[in-house]
Order: sequence, then structure tokens, then C-alpha cells
Amino acid sequence: MSLKSYSRGRAVHVMLVYTGGCNGCDIEIVNCILSPKFDAEQYKVFLTWNPREADVLVVTGPVTKYNEQPLREIYKAIPEPKAVVAAGACALMGGVYKNCHGDIPSEEISGPVDQIIPVDAKVPGCAVRPQDVVAGLVSALPLLLNAD
Amino acid sequence: MDDNKENRTVIEAEVPMGTVHPGALEPYRLRLFVEDEIVRDAEMTVGVNHRGVERIMEGLPVEKANSLTEKICGICSNSHIWNSCRVGEIALGIEVPERAVYIRVIMGELERLHSHLLYLAHGSEVLGHETFAMRLFYIRETVMELLRMIGGNRVQYGSAVLGGVRPRCELDQMRIQKLSEGIELLKEKLNDFANRFVSDPLVMSRITGVGVTKPEDALRLACSGPTLRATGVEMDLRTGMYEYDSFEFDVITQDDGDVKSQLLTRVFENFESIKIIQQAIRNLPDGPITNRSWEMQDTPITKSYIEVPRGTLYHSYALEDGRVRNSVIRTPSMANIGAMQYSAIGHHITDAQLCIVQCDPCFTCTDRAIQIIKR
Repeated sequence: MSLKSYSRGRAVHVMLVYTGGCNGCDIEIVNCILSPKFDAEQYKVFLTWNPREADVLVVTGPVTKYNEQPLREIYKAIPEPKAVVAAGACALMGGVYKNCHGDIPSEEISGPVDQIIPVDAKVPGCAVRPQDVVAGLVSALPLLLNAD
Repeated sequence: MDDNKENRTVIEAEVPMGTVHPGALEPYRLRLFVEDEIVRDAEMTVGVNHRGVERIMEGLPVEKANSLTEKICGICSNSHIWNSCRVGEIALGIEVPERAVYIRVIMGELERLHSHLLYLAHGSEVLGHETFAMRLFYIRETVMELLRMIGGNRVQYGSAVLGGVRPRCELDQMRIQKLSEGIELLKEKLNDFANRFVSDPLVMSRITGVGVTKPEDALRLACSGPTLRATGVEMDLRTGMYEYDSFEFDVITQDDGDVKSQLLTRVFENFESIKIIQQAIRNLPDGPITNRSWEMQDTPITKSYIEVPRGTLYHSYALEDGRVRNSVIRTPSMANIGAMQYSAIGHHITDAQLCIVQCDPCFTCTDRAIQIIKR
């Protein structure tokens, strides 16, 4: 393990993007990082809202049409190496909004996330459980740590 | 000439935020018009998140449509399904058993607790006081465990079905025991937190006098819920709902309408919710939890208003052959957007985010198709 990966592993920054979900997954993810019960911060995982300092992008929600372009831009702005985690039923397959206007992608929903940006880990659930989010984040970590 | 002169002296800059912005958690667009770092005007646009649950509800069987409304909001999910079932019950004339009403009230008040605690945690984080935020998330975990025990899920735990509550949400002796223990523990923790919160000079001086909304403006902007009550207007739909007839509770109001009043309203409302839950546990009546003896019929558009953690929630739909038609949903944050814009004006730009957060925004349920009627 190089010095770079060593130091990267001690400050993993997670960026959370809301793309039109119901807020349930988002709060559970914030909960799993900030709340003292799950407390991913003790494993040096931090929450950030700035793509330029992020390592892992967590996407929730079925990507709505207006959120498609911002999501691509955010993905581009994150420096390499990066990992993407799609969390929640909406992000994986559209959830209840799947048949909103015919099948997705439709005029309103560009969904699911893996049609827009490459996804490395998928966390199922409606809403996701914090334990599963931690597991998903951990499974995406080798991408960051073995990059160089 | 005069116009040009004015343009030279007044330097106004626009600070756009969003739709995705490091300072704002949820996707919305905010434009701040700033002069010498003082916000002169604010404009907030929603619509990025619009999915249109009403459109999916159109033509679905009413039971399915009710459970779909749960997915509108991940914070007040139980309130949506409660109000949607209430529309059907009013339309079809279904009498809800008393035990089911009590269980619904318990779920509703637990939801109010978790929503207010989340609000306080979010507010503390925006204040920059992360210790309070973490502590509140820790307190909130007690409520989430109770919700998981009764509803079976941490987030989407809606209890209501047409004519009662789900069998899963029945409260047996063990659950009642756990619930009352959890509520006692919660009360203790909340007391500690409230004492610590109001006696913190740093936090209090930061939030006093920031983001003031006057009561007449709050009424003009049609605010609802705790946002309105924090300005001194005593209005709570729970006092008029038949579900709350047998419960004793106070309507909390604060005088100033600034961030301090908003936060304190929520802190004190938590204790009222605890009071209601304790009364419900003590007087929980026996009997069935669902009333299955009702007949489906066609009904005209029926309305229902209830008080949810964030304010007044409105649902309406007509029934045609057992299917939902013309569903309209109006969420409380939609009404409070006016207060969010208004309270930021005249304050420093660093307070703008705090002014928005003080109105308890939830932009995922705010994004409904709306028609503005100018009068």
C-alpha cells in the first residue's frame, strides 16, 4: 500500500446527492455517519457537500430530468480515484416512480442511477438501513485504496 | 438620469445557490440579492424534485393509492398515509375503532418527536454546533427504535389502513411496556438536552433576533404549523381533530418569531407529544383495531386537513369504482416557503441558510404540481 492510499484510507469523504427521492434514505445516510449509534466517523468516514474533496459519491433517488445534468457534473468534479454508491430502491430501479410516466427513463425521470453514471456498489432497501449503508461504503473502499 | 445615478451608488450582487450546493442539503434553487452582504431580496424555486405521486395514484385502487402516499415524504410518511386514509373514511363514512385511533395518535406523535428532533439536529448543524447535532441524533435513535418496533421499518412505517390500523401495528403488553419505558427514557434525555440548550449563552446569542417573521406577515404568507406558532399565533389543527378529543395538551407558542422561538417551539412541543403518548398508553381502550364492515361506493371529491409535524397537510380525492380520481395533495412546507424567503431579507448573508432551515423545509414533499390563484 502506497503512502497515498494509506493517507486516503484515513480520510474518506462521502458526498451525498439527493436526486428526487423521498428524503428517507438521505436522512438514514446522514444518520449512519453523524449519529453516535452507527457513527461511521469513528472509522474516518466524513460527510461533505463539496464534490472536489469527496472520494465516494452516494446517490439517492430516481434521477429526475432536472437533476440529470447536475449529477453528471458532480461526478466529473470528483477527483480520481472515486467510487459511486447507489442507495435505495429508487436509485437502483426506480422504486415506486418506475411507472410514473410509462417505464423509466421517461419524460420526467431519467432514472436509475447506473444509466447516467457508473455505479460501483448498490445498497437495496426502502428506506436503506444504516447498517447496509456502512456495508456498501466498505465494499466500495478497495477501489479507493488499491488505486495506486 | 436618476435611474443611472441610482445604479451607480447601489451595488447589488446576486448569489445563486443550487440546485445542488454544498451549503444546502436538499435540491432547490435559491437566489439571494445582496447589497453590502445584507440580503435585500430572496427568491426560492422548487420543481427539481417533482415526480408526481398524484399522477401515479390516478386510477389505482384506493388501498394501493393510500400506501403509495407514504412514499411522498420520508420524514412525515405516516402523516401522509393517515390523512389519505382519513379522506377515504370521511368519504365512505367508515367508523374507526377507538383503539385504532389511539394507535394512530401514538404513531403520529412519535413521528412528530422524530421530525422535531431531526429539525433541531439539522438546525444545530447549520449553527455550527455539531455536538448538539450528534446528541440530538442520539436522542432521536430512541424514537426510531420505537417506530421500528411498532411499524416494522425505521422510515416507512405507516400504520393506517382504511378503517383502522395494520395488524402489524397492534400494541400488545410487551410493546406497551417497551413503549412506556422508551418514552420515560426519552423524556429524561430531552430534559437534559433542553436545560443544556437554553442555558448555552453562545447558541442563544447566535440565534436571538435572527430571521424574524412578524405574526401578521406569517398569516399573510399563509404559514402553518410550528412555523406559525413560533410567531405567536395560536393555531393548531389538533385542537379540532376528533382523534385528539380525549387528550389534554397545550398549544405551544413563542413571541418573537426569530430562530430562537422556532427552535424553542419545537423543543417544548416534544414534551407535549410525550404527554399525549403517555395519556394514550394509560387509557388505551380494548377492542378491534380494524373495522371491516363498510361498502365501496362512488364519492365526490372529499377533503381532509390534519396537523402534521411541519404544519397543515391537505389531501383530497374522489372515488370512482373503488379507484382514486383527481388526487390533490398540499404539503405544509409548500405553505412555509414564503416565510423562508421573507425571513432572510434584511439579515446578513451568512444567516440566510439558518433563516431557511428555521422554517423546517422538506423539499421532497414540497415539489407538487401547484396552481397559483391570484386574488
